Amino acid sequence: MSASPSEIRIGAELVSPPYLLDADAAKAYNEGVEQPPQRRPRGNIHDDKDAARKAGFVAPIAAGEQTIAIVAQFLADNFGMRFVRGGRIEVSLTQPVFYGDTLTSHAKIVSVDADRAGLQIYVENQRGAQVLTGSAAVRLNDA
Amino acid sequence: MSENARLPMCSENVHEGMRLGPIQYVVTPEQTRKFSQAVGAASPEFIVDARNPGAIVSPTMRLLDYALLIAKHFKGGKGGIHAKHWCEFHEPMRVGQAVKTEGKITAAYRKRGKFYFTLEYESRDVVTDRLLVRQAITSVLLNEKGEMR
Repeated sequence: MSASPSEIRIGAELVSPPYLLDADAAKAYNEGVEQPPQRRPRGNIHDDKDAARKAGFVAPIAAGEQTIAIVAQFLADNFGMRFVRGGRIEVSLTQPVFYGDTLTSHAKIVSVDADRAGLQIYVENQRGAQVLTGSAAVRLNDA
Repeated sequence: MSENARLPMCSENVHEGMRLGPIQYVVTPEQTRKFSQAVGAASPEFIVDARNPGAIVSPTMRLLDYALLIAKHFKGGKGGIHAKHWCEFHEPMRVGQAVKTEGKITAAYRKRGKFYFTLEYESRDVVTDRLLVRQAITSVLLNEKGEMR
């Protein structure tokens, strides 16, 4: 689906369906990015308890790219070409995502000018903690 | 850069102004299909099937090109913590498209004892040189012990 121009108004909010980022979801994501394969050696913060602990985490963490990919796809599904041709995102990964977390993406339109809408975006986990925060922009024109 | 010429991935070797790449690849239907499934793509324009063989690639499928750029110039290291990222989407990638990506280290600094670097990189169509996506990752580099300092 792609939001129509009439739906792009200040204050409009979008919320994604929940996304369970468990080991299977991480494996599927890795299979979708590993071309060529083996870019990331084993024994890192994503798959090794000791490596994660040394880096300051209580357990292995999911790749930040996967959280970015989830919110970007959420925006692409909602805004289509308005996002993937001329859109933008800028995000901070504010808290780690652990395997088994359920993520929900949120977007709120905070500005609209002649040709763009600005959005405030965030992703929260099942505890209500924001793991990603940032902004996005989409074009108003669908061309 | 040849295998032997690659530098160890450590803060001493990461400098502002370093150019990384280029790398080249062809966007495959297999990767596009797997990625769109993995991120739960709902819009049919991102889903590769018989009716849509030239599907649009999910916008961040090639975000990890930064890792390929780094691996081409550096070896070893304990990895990093992804802190920030921005992307400008100029044109969507499509299945079958040949793409070239290159990048540049635009910042390398210490803050509160941690070493940060920013790698800005852009992807272009190999044939037309048209800009597809420009993006940047800011990462905290883990030290040789795997710590964030």
